[in-house]
Amino acid sequence: MTTTTQLPVNDVALSVRDLKTFFYTNKRCNKAVNGVSFEIRKGKTLCIVGESGCGKSVTASAIMQLLPTLSRIEQGEIVYHSERGDIRLDTLERNGKAMRSIRGSEIAMIFQDPMTALNPVFTIGFQIAENLRYHTAMRGRQLMDKAIDLLRSMGIPAPERRVEQFPHQFSGGMRQRAMIAMAMACNPKILIADEPTTALDVTIQAQIFELMATLKREHGTAIMLITHDMGVVAELADDVAVMYMGNIVEAGTVDEVLRRPSHPYTRALLDSVPVLGRGKNQDIRAIPGSTPDPFNRPKGCQFADRCAYKLDACETALPAETHLSPTHRVMCVRHEEFANGVRS
Amino acid sequence: MLAYVIRRVLIMIPMAVAISFLIYLGLDATPGDAVSFMLSPEQMSGANPERLAELREALGLNQPLFVRYFIWLWGLLQGNFGYTLTGGVPISDLLARRLPATLELAAVALVLSTVFGSILGIISALRRGSATDNTLTVVGMVGVSIPEFFFGLVAITVFALNLGWLPVGGRSMPQYITFWDRLPHLVMPSLVLSIMMTAGVMRYARAAMLDALNKDFIKTARSKGLPEWRVNLLHGFRVALTPVVVLIGFRLPALIGGSVIVEQVFQWPGVGSLFVLSVRNQDYPVVMAVALISVVTVLVVSVVIDVLTAIIDPRVRLGN
Ligand SMILES: Nc1ncnc2c1ncn2[C@@H]1O[C@H](COP(=O)(O)OP(=O)(O)OP(=O)(O)O)[C@@H](O)[C@H]1O
Ligand code: SF4
Ligand SMILES: [Mg+2]
Repeated sequence: MTTTTQLPVNDVALSVRDLKTFFYTNKRCNKAVNGVSFEIRKGKTLCIVGESGCGKSVTASAIMQLLPTLSRIEQGEIVYHSERGDIRLDTLERNGKAMRSIRGSEIAMIFQDPMTALNPVFTIGFQIAENLRYHTAMRGRQLMDKAIDLLRSMGIPAPERRVEQFPHQFSGGMRQRAMIAMAMACNPKILIADEPTTALDVTIQAQIFELMATLKREHGTAIMLITHDMGVVAELADDVAVMYMGNIVEAGTVDEVLRRPSHPYTRALLDSVPVLGRGKNQDIRAIPGSTPDPFNRPKGCQFADRCAYKLDACETALPAETHLSPTHRVMCVRHEEFANGVRS
Repeated sequence: MLAYVIRRVLIMIPMAVAISFLIYLGLDATPGDAVSFMLSPEQMSGANPERLAELREALGLNQPLFVRYFIWLWGLLQGNFGYTLTGGVPISDLLARRLPATLELAAVALVLSTVFGSILGIISALRRGSATDNTLTVVGMVGVSIPEFFFGLVAITVFALNLGWLPVGGRSMPQYITFWDRLPHLVMPSLVLSIMMTAGVMRYARAAMLDALNKDFIKTARSKGLPEWRVNLLHGFRVALTPVVVLIGFRLPALIGGSVIVEQVFQWPGVGSLFVLSVRNQDYPVVMAVALISVVTVLVVSVVIDVLTAIIDPRVRLGN
């Protein structure tokens, strides 16, 4: 159902094509990710935005093959364009050797809450060294030296002392830096960050994002950044994908999506937060209504119940995906009007 | 760390004092003349009433309760538990003979139940919902609900009387020299004593393990590309270990209680069977001495468990 324009392949680090991931709980099926396609470009940042429960984390977990046991990749492909050639991640055994050798070394992940994502009973140094031990030839003293270097380069003061401390002895921001140090240990090609700052306070958030921008610049790491925050998107993203109820309803470069938002949901999201560069007197409106029950989804456009522009045609079938430009695509019956019209 | 240990030990002391006082109250309230267990038979024999009155005065038995208590406590600290009412044997001698037997039995049972309980709990958790898990759950429920004496009698009937593989009871024979000679005697009592605790540890280890495996850091560990054994055992069980150790500490009094029954069933010459014997003979000084020893053991072990928890969990160790 999707026709993604193929970028020159050597620009792309990872492609996801028509990915469907379903959950099976109590004999009911939750189509958590229902056919999404996107590409992560080498050295670029793709931001995935959308409300809670739209399937952002499930998409990330699917890439890493870290899905809970009651869920499964139903359809689609996830291709990692490695230096050794293309690898179909979705066909690899979940915790098999091939998948493990990619996890943590070529594709790394950081999570929302660094307090719970770090093991409380092991030192920070141990947890970083573990990553190195499994993916590099480093041993013994080298491991700790490298861990100290990593902590230092993430801006953690007194890394020689910090490396021997436990997660609970770190502040929230420091913990997330340590987490990033761990993820960056083997200099991965792709870093997946699932709401890495939601658990942190605002000033710390800015520091973490600055750190990620630096990493991207210095190491050429491609980043898939999951966030709720449109402000972050404006700051960091090269590409944006807007998710709603398991679909990418709009995607494109950051300019395309932020300047010419062509899906009512994208517009609603943009209206619900202050965006940098759109002046001081912004009209901030919360999105009316709430997301539908995942077990009882609308037949047509998933956003129909909350959309002010709904037509009868919207409710008959899932709107087709249309390309407004080679990179800009949208899933809305009335996209033409929105794409051409000035912002409401 | 050292400060933590010292603090825990210091906290233990007032508790031990309070408990020993309660026990002394019990002892004081029991029928009979206190003089009779504080003197050796030699001193007792040939003592006329005047002499006894003198001795009572000398032993401080006419002093107020608190003073008497401290005199008694002072004696205890020097290893003087008094004499049995039946036979006039020094209680400390009895304990010295019987305590090692009980400690041996309890220690072996403790190790067995900790090891087996943890392993079975881990297997259960890793295969949750499987036939193995369900079987272990049922077996565990049976294990905690059937009393030790029943298991003991069944074991004796089957393995000693019918199959003849193991001795019926006792701990040693005159010709035995090494621990290995005695080992066959130890098998049944220690296994029977460990059943309940194993089942308890297993259930708890399973729950703690499931809890740990649900934590975010498990996902992190997988996201680093670690092999499954390392994710489950190093990251999972290492965290599940803290609650398991705490549980073992809680269950220890039950193990000590269980040993009273098991020692009786297998005629194990330990403190437990001494306890039963003394209760039957209404030999209160011995009963109280055994009670005191048990309570102090539980206290000491609880400190050991606390220190152990602090060692394995840095949040406890460094949090305080
Ligand atoms: N472990 C799970 N068990 C059952 N259902 C799940 C599980 N994880 C996710 N889901 C379901 O999958 C859907 C997508 O969830 P997902 O976690 O991807 O949302 P999200 O976009 O990451 O939201 P958030 O912003 O809150 O993190 C939801 O309907 C959710 O109920
Ligand atoms: S398809 Fe219709 S209901 Fe859905 S977003 Fe577009 S206009 Fe609204
Ligand atoms: Mg999420």
